[in-house]
Amino acid sequence: MTTGLGATVVRAGRRLLSSLPALFGVLVFTFLLMRVLPGDPAVFFASGPNAGKEEIELIRKQMGLDKSVPEQLVFYLSDIGHGNLGRSMMTGQPVLKDLRERLPASLELTFTALLIALIAAVPLGVIAALRPGSIVDHGVRLFCALGVCVPTFVSGLLLIYVFYYLLGLAPDPTGRIDVFTSLPPQRTGFLSIDFLLAGDFEGWWAACKQLILPAVSMALFVIAPLARITRASMLVSLGSDFVRTARSVGLSWRKVVVTYALRNAILPVITIAGIVFSTMLGANVLVEKVFSWPGVASYALDALLSSDYAPVQGFVLLMASLFVLVNLVVDVCYGIADPRVSIE
Amino acid sequence: MRFVSFRPATSVLATTALLLIAAAPSQAQTRAETLRYVTGASVNTLDPNIPGSTRESFALSMSTYDRLVAFGRKQLNGKWVFDLDTITGELAESYDVSPDGLKLTFRLRKDAKFQDGSPVTAEDVKWSLDRCVTAPILGKAQLLTGSLTSADQFKVIDPLTIEVTLPKPDKLALPNLATVYPMIINSKLAKAHATPDDPWATAWLKEHTAGSGAYVVETFKPGEQVILKRDESWNRGSANKPAFFKRVIVQSVPEPATRANLVERGDADLVVDLQASDVQSLEAKGKLKVISTPQYNAITYVSMNNQMPPFDNVNVRRAIAYALPYDDMFKAALFGRGAPLFGATWPDGKPLNGIYPFQQPVKMDLDKAREYLKAAGLPEGFSTTFSFNVGQSSTAEPMAALVKESLGKIGIKVDIQKLPDAQMSTQINEKKLPFYTEGIVAWLPSTDYFYRNFYTGNQRWNYSSINNPDLAAIAQEARFEPDKAKYEEAGRKLNAMHFDLMPQIMLWQPNQDAVMAPSIEGYTYEFHRQVDYRDVSRK
Repeated sequence: MTTGLGATVVRAGRRLLSSLPALFGVLVFTFLLMRVLPGDPAVFFASGPNAGKEEIELIRKQMGLDKSVPEQLVFYLSDIGHGNLGRSMMTGQPVLKDLRERLPASLELTFTALLIALIAAVPLGVIAALRPGSIVDHGVRLFCALGVCVPTFVSGLLLIYVFYYLLGLAPDPTGRIDVFTSLPPQRTGFLSIDFLLAGDFEGWWAACKQLILPAVSMALFVIAPLARITRASMLVSLGSDFVRTARSVGLSWRKVVVTYALRNAILPVITIAGIVFSTMLGANVLVEKVFSWPGVASYALDALLSSDYAPVQGFVLLMASLFVLVNLVVDVCYGIADPRVSIE
Repeated sequence: MRFVSFRPATSVLATTALLLIAAAPSQAQTRAETLRYVTGASVNTLDPNIPGSTRESFALSMSTYDRLVAFGRKQLNGKWVFDLDTITGELAESYDVSPDGLKLTFRLRKDAKFQDGSPVTAEDVKWSLDRCVTAPILGKAQLLTGSLTSADQFKVIDPLTIEVTLPKPDKLALPNLATVYPMIINSKLAKAHATPDDPWATAWLKEHTAGSGAYVVETFKPGEQVILKRDESWNRGSANKPAFFKRVIVQSVPEPATRANLVERGDADLVVDLQASDVQSLEAKGKLKVISTPQYNAITYVSMNNQMPPFDNVNVRRAIAYALPYDDMFKAALFGRGAPLFGATWPDGKPLNGIYPFQQPVKMDLDKAREYLKAAGLPEGFSTTFSFNVGQSSTAEPMAALVKESLGKIGIKVDIQKLPDAQMSTQINEKKLPFYTEGIVAWLPSTDYFYRNFYTGNQRWNYSSINNPDLAAIAQEARFEPDKAKYEEAGRKLNAMHFDLMPQIMLWQPNQDAVMAPSIEGYTYEFHRQVDYRDVSRK
């Protein structure tokens, strides 16, 4: 067991090291890409009613744009080396601080959405696989198709319209917490955890209420791939020899389906879940916008529209690092689901 | 004691329940005394002087800082708007203008205190004004328009009196001191945080306030929300009382539909940046108060680059002016919510008055447009691009489609170009766009100011890139014209030239649609086009 764990750690470490060149590449590529984009951020930000040439020059200097691109790149890389991601013109704050404050919001939302999606998708996939071609199977297919074909901002706006505007059940869709609720002392940045740690259950419930609608609208979109992959891989697994053997020796239904078939079928689902998680984190811009969620994706989009270089670069670096981490976690999960994998 | 036998968990629950009961009424009370203002933009700095600061930051600073003077307000068609001609004291108890107009003397209020309790002195005023004209900040360019350029112009007479000297009797000097930038800062506090590299404490003031304003910043989360608390001792309001609301929450809600829902459900009290379509439906429902004020210091244009063929030909510009489907554009873009600047009738062919902006006597007349094209030597038309920025697409997109369709009828082929905001401003600055729509705003809307800033010089705000020495000379002269009749005459001349040269086409002044809970009173349209939280109260 210890050797298995040790091997996993070594493997994880090696993976981490080998991803460093890729991260560096992402860094340089994003930097150059931002410089190539047409649009001068200094002109955009110098838009007071009287801002003229002088102000534009001033901002250009502030952003370091008065230097040549190679020089800028060297400065940028040395800044990154010192843990400084630059300053956002948009919020006026250091990018690192902005990201540190906003990342937990995005992570909390994405984790919740993924959890909801998995809880819904795996049983749906299993049920569909147990009765392929039946009404249930078609029902699941229809539900998945609907989930995928309705864009997240449409489902988000619909959910707001029904649960907030018409029924008044949901709290107003403005961020992570009602403006009148006081925040718990920050420990993890995940409000639902911080409130629990502070023992404030009312606050915890308030935070959860804010979380439900955006998480559901995100989950609806990703249930389909998860459910479809569960179904497909369950079908393979149910038709395999070991399940036939298990059935023939008269094992209980539960044992056959859950222990043997599902455990073997879960590997591709984990892979997909990892990919889905990474994409959700970056692609939930629309949900973040609709629910005024103070997350990293909407932050990056605003920065991109106003050609605010530092936040965009910081965001891409963050996403690349997270992607590396998620892949690692998926690898480790493989080992747990199927011990044979970790031997290799 | 019996209580000893209570289990800790039970007592915690009981305490929580008690606290809840106790908290409930006070919370309800706070809601009535709280203004929740939602906006699509966000506050990015506490000092509006920082380059790159947003309009919301301007509005915030009006409540956190005082200025020497402030604009009064007047009623325009039954709605309250700021009044450029009435200037009242804010930190100044009174002020005098010398007969030759070269000296402004301000006497400060004796009871005025900064938020840290120290008194406001003439030294603080001098430091703040010096900072505005010396430090590399936005105030510099603004105060320049009022002939305020050097620290030597501000002189401390005694601890409560300060004198401002002008090189010329500039009408805009006094109004400039009421704008956003020349706010009065607690100089002792700011100096304590200045560094040799940053003698004017710009870095510190970006994150902190050191003012004497009506509200104290309680929490500031850039890009999310700002919560303000009333300063109980502030008495610069009209009735020598503190501001009405005990708390103000300025919250960023990017999605316009969500903002509309919030205010309709009564969860938000006030919003000024809804989509025209939402405003219209909310107004029709009649549950909320909607105050629509034409932004009389802002103008939306269709601009043509006067230096770039074929728009360097005045007849081409005239042809365009007669080929635009004004009424349809006005309806499609703004649902008619605004003041049109087209379709006037000039009985004797001369401007009705010397005020800019004015309604031009243009309307869609394709035959006339074709004649002008023929006169320009382009009877077959030509091809061009029409650009607008993404940030304005909700109004500019339907407008662009109508422009394309209508110009197509006289042979001008238009390609619509939708540019990201930063790219659009860059191209405007570099004078690379031939034909586009953009808007402007002037804080101190006087005729000469508009012509000097938007029709002269090789600079960004001269959208049409017009270079007409006569026009520039008249506008420059009018700036220092003390005689009202002569000023009016100059204005008429400029307006006549505008119509004749047609450097760009004024379309309209869009409405500022303020939508608020029925209990909100006192909303005033301000020069910075945001809400001044000190204006509003709840019935």
